Amino acid sequence: MSVTSADVRARPERARTRRKPSAGGSKKWVAWAFLAPAAVIIGALIIYPTIDTIAQSFQNESRQFVGVDNYKAITESPRILTAIRNTFIWVVVAPALITGFGLIVAVLTERVSYTTAIRVVLFMPIAISGLAAGVLWRLTYEPDPERGALNVVIGSVVNLVGGPGAYPDATVLPEAPVQETSDGALAARSTVRPGESAEIGLVNVLDEEIPAGATQASEPQASGDSIPVVVWRDFKPGGGEPGVIEEGELGLPGAVVELTDASGEVVATQTTGPDGSVSFSGVGDGPFKAQIAASTFSPGFEGIEWLGSSLVTPALILAFFWMSVGFAVVIIGGGLSALPRDVLEAARVDGANEWQTFRLVTVPLMRPVIGVVFVTLTINVLKIFDLVYVLAPGASQDEANVIGVEMFRTAFSERNFGVGAAVAVLLFILVIPIMALNLRNFRRES
Amino acid sequence: MERVLRGLAEITLEEVAKTFPDGTEAVSSFDLDIADGSLMVLVGPSGCGKTTLLRMVAGLEDITAGQVRIGGKVVNEIPPKDRDIAMVFQNYALYPHMSVYDNIGYGLKLRKVNKRERDRLIRQAARTLGLGDQLLKKPRALSGGQRQRVAMGRAIVRQPEAFLMDEPLSNLDAKLRVQMRTEISRIQRDVQVTTIYVTHDQTEAMTMGDRVAVMKKGELQQVDAPQSLYEHPENLFVAGFIGSPSMNLVEAALDASDGHLFVEFGGTRLHLGHDVRGRRRGIEGYIGRRIILGIRPEDMEDASMVGAAPIDRRMLVTVDVKEAMGSEIYAHFEVDAPPVLTEDTKELAIDAGEEVLEELEEEAGTNWVARLNPRTRAREGGRVELVVDTQNLHFFDAATGAAIYENAQPETPGRAL
Repeated sequence: MSVTSADVRARPERARTRRKPSAGGSKKWVAWAFLAPAAVIIGALIIYPTIDTIAQSFQNESRQFVGVDNYKAITESPRILTAIRNTFIWVVVAPALITGFGLIVAVLTERVSYTTAIRVVLFMPIAISGLAAGVLWRLTYEPDPERGALNVVIGSVVNLVGGPGAYPDATVLPEAPVQETSDGALAARSTVRPGESAEIGLVNVLDEEIPAGATQASEPQASGDSIPVVVWRDFKPGGGEPGVIEEGELGLPGAVVELTDASGEVVATQTTGPDGSVSFSGVGDGPFKAQIAASTFSPGFEGIEWLGSSLVTPALILAFFWMSVGFAVVIIGGGLSALPRDVLEAARVDGANEWQTFRLVTVPLMRPVIGVVFVTLTINVLKIFDLVYVLAPGASQDEANVIGVEMFRTAFSERNFGVGAAVAVLLFILVIPIMALNLRNFRRES
Repeated sequence: MERVLRGLAEITLEEVAKTFPDGTEAVSSFDLDIADGSLMVLVGPSGCGKTTLLRMVAGLEDITAGQVRIGGKVVNEIPPKDRDIAMVFQNYALYPHMSVYDNIGYGLKLRKVNKRERDRLIRQAARTLGLGDQLLKKPRALSGGQRQRVAMGRAIVRQPEAFLMDEPLSNLDAKLRVQMRTEISRIQRDVQVTTIYVTHDQTEAMTMGDRVAVMKKGELQQVDAPQSLYEHPENLFVAGFIGSPSMNLVEAALDASDGHLFVEFGGTRLHLGHDVRGRRRGIEGYIGRRIILGIRPEDMEDASMVGAAPIDRRMLVTVDVKEAMGSEIYAHFEVDAPPVLTEDTKELAIDAGEEVLEELEEEAGTNWVARLNPRTRAREGGRVELVVDTQNLHFFDAATGAAIYENAQPETPGRAL
């Protein structure tokens, strides 16, 4: 390459013309003028409130200095301590769970067709506000197994295995010679031996509970060594005589009848036929007691109290999981598609199986992306408010409490601004190390 | 490196084909035998399917049809990790989060080689490649050449049945490429592992391969030792692809008078002696027909540099550009005859660049290169008389592009060029 003398001459001239419009002090002044609106907004909306909140955390309602009393109040309030404990649980469980699951789903969705479609569907809950999601999950968690989606699903599975009994509400008349055993069975008081019979009359049996094929009950006829037992509805329109099988009183099919020996051991089990009768034979000499098994009166699945005080935090975390897993999948999926394909292939040729490739190559290469997702989720969890506030019902609100909600409740519901500010400062302090970590990650990346 | 006793690891491809889901046929009915311990180069323009073929051998690509056998065993359904092959990738594909040491040792670790043995093998491989001081560095701290060595190290340390190399030198600068070329050849000879080496660079192909397979559009054109490919190309494509600068081609007429055979193009008339006719009896069948004539650049010389140059084997040309290479001079000139436009030459032009193809289609004359003695007095723009070594002329059927050696091909009147 040759440099002509014209090039050399042109250079200083160009430099001079470039410097011209930026004459010393005026430049600084212009820069500040442009920065001023932003500086005012940041100052008024971020810096001032931050400082004022810190100040307020050392003051009482009338803004007099009270030292660390507000912080002491935090340590003395069991409700606030629950909030701190719950926030700790959230931070430990939710980000790790969501990031891990997101990574697995992202890797798996990459191998099937319609990757984008699947990820879009998973991503959709992010577009829903925490408030709407709270309402949605409130419905899902409804304890009534007829209405709450989750309980409907669980109920239908549970009922497949051991559904409700044939006569869940049935009982006996107080004067009947029947007693309830400790495990919920209804046993005739008198014992029977082969050649004798037993009858148990039930009341409080609804018409719709009785199967269509039920027929008139009849007095059991013992013969030889058989023990017949009849279960019938000891009631007919107009009353009837208690303890007597009358015309118009139906046998109760589907009841489980058991014979127990003297020690209470069940020796035989049968289910009643259309006329409510069963007949045991060849069971030995006895004496036995006849009873209707507890399973006949089992009410079936009654629904889990998801938002009850014991399950509320896991239930809330599940709802948050649903809201956030799409975010993790999409961000991690994006990182995956940027992975150098040949490095993964090199690992396969080197002898790694799918799992080894995932663990020893994919995950280390994805570490920066995973880190961003994890930190973002941690911050979201620390500041979580709307979901908890809306989803947790009043009764379990104290159990579900997190720092964000507690801050709101103390400061705005109870108008205790000093302690509220102290809680806010606590949250602020908890967020700082995570922010620092995040910033460091970003800086290292660039 | 020590040579571990093992069975013969020849690689056999039998009617191997690859059709991608979108219907593109990358490789069609490909047959190739690679002898145990030899280095086979797959060469061809980009997009000719050579990398796809290599990836099928590696197991990274499904085989649509045919069979791949390594050491006699059909591997079609065997995953890459169980094929006992090592691959060197174009971009090296080093594990960025591992040190050089771990990069080299990763395959051994996965194969559960114990730690002491692993350490010994890694250090041995590193020594072979001159990486002894770099073992603790991460790949990003290495230069291109060092990364290339690590990629090689990763392959040799495992002592696999076969090496598969996918354009391993294409990301290096020219000087390093020449150096690594020699080094890879040396290592391959030392360890004697069956190797498939894919490249689009015919120089690499010529210098490295025991045998070279030339591919075009997923089809095998010719497999042979490098020198044989150069001297006896089977068709126009191989003739044009192998050799740098490439063979000069022109459409010429073959005629006989008084029992003498002449080949004529663009105002030049060359006499073909009996020796030529004896070795290429096939051309007798082309007398009076159009053929394609090929002349290697080194088969032309400034007539004034040659004592007693026969008068009937000369051509008079005007030098357009003169490139001094030191030991020789490339003289570019134009021959007054339209360029040869067949499917083969078009494919070659595309490989050289789309513009070249456009030029080729517009041009009235054909650009040739002669490799002359550096002491030639030829000047740019000056006229020079070249003497042609007619013994080494190449002839091709104008319709099929097949080289003419023994037998004439029947004329196909329907097909004009």
